[in-house]
Amino acid sequence: MSDVPGDPNRESIPLLLARTTSRIALAPKEARASLRVPSTRAESAGPIGYLRSRLGAAGTLVAAALVLFAIFADMLANDLPIACKLHGQLWLFPNITQPAELVALGGDATSSEAEWKVSALVPHGPTSPTAAPLLAPGRVTGHPFGTDREGRDVFARVIHGTRTYLVFALAAVMVSLLFGGLLGSLAGLFGGGADALVGRAIETVSAFPPLVLVLGIQAAVPHATVATLFLAIALTRWPEVARLVRAEVMQVATRDYVMAARALGASPLRVLRRHIAPNVRGQLIVLGAIGVPAVILIEASLDFLRVGPPAGAASWGETMSEFRDAPMAWWLLAFPGVFLFATIVALNLVGEARREMMDPRTR
Amino acid sequence: MFAYALRRAIWAIPTLFGVSLVVFVLTTLLPDPALDEGGSPADVAHRLRLDELRRARFLDLPRFVNVAPTDVRTGVDACIVHLVADDDDAELCEIRLAQIGGAGLPYLLPHLDTIPPTPRGRIAMALAPIARRMGVGDERELASPSSAALFWERFWEDRSVDFTAPAVHREVDRLVKRGSDLREEELRFVDTFALEQLVEAMRLTKDRDALVRLTRLASHVTERDVTVKPDDDAKRVRAVVSDWQSWWYVHDSDYVALQGGAKVTASIAQTRYAKWVLGAATGQLGLSTSDGEPVFDKLLARAPVTLGMAFLALLLSAAIAVPLGVLAAWRRGHFVDHTTALLLLAFYSLPTFLVAELLATFGRASDAGFVLPVVALATVSLSVMTQQQRASMIEALGQDYIRVARAKGARTLRVAVVHALRNALVPTITLAGVQFPALVGAAFVVEEVFGIHGMGWETLRAIESRDAAWIVAVTLLCAVVTTACLVTSDVAYGLLDPRVREQQIMRRRTT
Repeated sequence: MSDVPGDPNRESIPLLLARTTSRIALAPKEARASLRVPSTRAESAGPIGYLRSRLGAAGTLVAAALVLFAIFADMLANDLPIACKLHGQLWLFPNITQPAELVALGGDATSSEAEWKVSALVPHGPTSPTAAPLLAPGRVTGHPFGTDREGRDVFARVIHGTRTYLVFALAAVMVSLLFGGLLGSLAGLFGGGADALVGRAIETVSAFPPLVLVLGIQAAVPHATVATLFLAIALTRWPEVARLVRAEVMQVATRDYVMAARALGASPLRVLRRHIAPNVRGQLIVLGAIGVPAVILIEASLDFLRVGPPAGAASWGETMSEFRDAPMAWWLLAFPGVFLFATIVALNLVGEARREMMDPRTR
Repeated sequence: MFAYALRRAIWAIPTLFGVSLVVFVLTTLLPDPALDEGGSPADVAHRLRLDELRRARFLDLPRFVNVAPTDVRTGVDACIVHLVADDDDAELCEIRLAQIGGAGLPYLLPHLDTIPPTPRGRIAMALAPIARRMGVGDERELASPSSAALFWERFWEDRSVDFTAPAVHREVDRLVKRGSDLREEELRFVDTFALEQLVEAMRLTKDRDALVRLTRLASHVTERDVTVKPDDDAKRVRAVVSDWQSWWYVHDSDYVALQGGAKVTASIAQTRYAKWVLGAATGQLGLSTSDGEPVFDKLLARAPVTLGMAFLALLLSAAIAVPLGVLAAWRRGHFVDHTTALLLLAFYSLPTFLVAELLATFGRASDAGFVLPVVALATVSLSVMTQQQRASMIEALGQDYIRVARAKGARTLRVAVVHALRNALVPTITLAGVQFPALVGAAFVVEEVFGIHGMGWETLRAIESRDAAWIVAVTLLCAVVTTACLVTSDVAYGLLDPRVREQQIMRRRTT
């Protein structure tokens, strides 16, 4: 699987719940074929569908819930109501459209002056200071997860943080998949100089611990923004993708049907698109699924260390870092922590389940 | 075997080259002080300070190729051109000439009479600080342009014999061996011309008395007050010497004339990249911009904390992972296996900073020093290592020799430990080498939470104060440590398993 010697990301290969043999190529292929791996329950059960793997299903469910939270964050927590009638005018979804008049009026005034309203589940936005700081969670206060040091509602921050993190991580993973996929297939297809160059580039970038490289870039760039963080994280992620795609492309390129396509005059691009891409796609999805939690973890760590760029709406790491200044306010650590943990577990499970589906060897 | 290890180490060279390029790009991202602060061109003191800041980072040099490397000769020539033309930079050049000092005289004084009288007088006046440093000439002579010019012409007739490298070399040698005030006085006559030899001598000698004299001389001619005092402790002496070495590393092109082959190599060596890489390789990582300490010394103080913590965490996680992995493999598909798999998934998904924060909060009452941070750190690699141990153990248990051992009546425990584990440990050991860098990265977070003053803690402070030199140095160190771990891990794998060795070499050959 990994053709680059001294593969520093080797630790990512034997992932959790992987079923059987060591995937670090220990013995030549023939020798491995002769290994008598005793049959296991999973094997005798035959090919299990991905959704029938219970943990995978649970992970998918949680991940889906998180995606829904992210999409409907404004329905769950916003200053402005979902719909209201104010001074004889009907407002629909002001929580999403954020009309200037109502924003100027403020969330509390809008709610109290409205003739009727349908509020969001928690009528507080993620950035607006509402009540007293460090309010403990409870039904009475109207803040189910309490408030942070600036009096912002933690529930709103957690829910909106889901959106911040998921969007960011998905985008960063997409970019790294694109970039890594491109370079990896270039190296695999053309070999020779291109391959050597990409190979060294992969080794170089993977020589940096991701967090350290991201910290270094963020510190070195004159004006660190979300964009630079985004690029920095994408930069740390692409080698893994490129390595996999390169190996896969090289392997597939020797197959008879690819040879036949080439002999028939198909251009390398066509071969890549029609014959190689379908083989690689599944692996890429797995990498994507595993990449998202990894990116979220780095971003949350940076926010927690307070070295990340100012987050857009809300960030879990930032809320959790406030716990360090207010050690009695357990809710600052607990709620974002649970969400962060659940996100990472769920996405890892999804990735694992996909991997198992893809790769019968690990079943 | 040694050849194999060597070969693997050589493979790392392109990687290290790439690493140096990446970190170099990082340094170029750092803001240029010239762009940062405005300041008018007339403000000479400001420009000098700015120049100094830029030179410390070699920003005055081109990035990769220097088509026109500068030395003392070109420096003097440029100054003369500006002074003759009497342009905006003339005032700056007067100061520069005085700074270049005695080293520039052999390239200036012989041609003094070819320069038109007005600039000649001006140049002679600009050189006056040098004469004062040397302790020659009297103030009346140096007061007016015409008499100053005459003075310098006469000076060169009398003294040009002293301005030769062998003569100075001999003098410095004697000063180091048998220091006397008279010898020191004599070396003052050649001013900065002796600087190269002085700095070189500082590096070579350990003698306190000689160092006192050498640093005093160097400080005198450069007007930087960095000297060894007779009653300084060893640490301070070392700091002063390394300060001079790094100063010389930045400024040598002001004082040394390039000759012959050196001119050709200078086009590569006198570039930002080459200067930076060579400096980094010899431990000259510049001065920390926040407190002015040499970054290398700071790194020496902080790195052992972080690396030690990571190493302890690695040991701890291996100590848990190996038995757990063996157990899971032995009871594969059963309750124990599933439970550990679930637990490990949980550990794998727990953010390090969350674990650290929880441990720090609940463990605050019992201040256990290094224990809790190491435990927090160990959770990072625990899952991956257990999983690896389990997988390799399962593979080992499926081998024929296990069957044979069992058939011959070996006990269960003996089969597991002696026959299977011996082989199954190999991948785990090599994995540990790869895990180490990950732990170093995670240690940054753990240090911050527990307030341990290691590399990570220092880095976060550096980010707050925008201490560029430190950040670059840490990034570089981490990458080098990672590469070294990788090489070690591969070599260990090859040592423990000859089949892998063959395979690694074969694979490299095909790519």
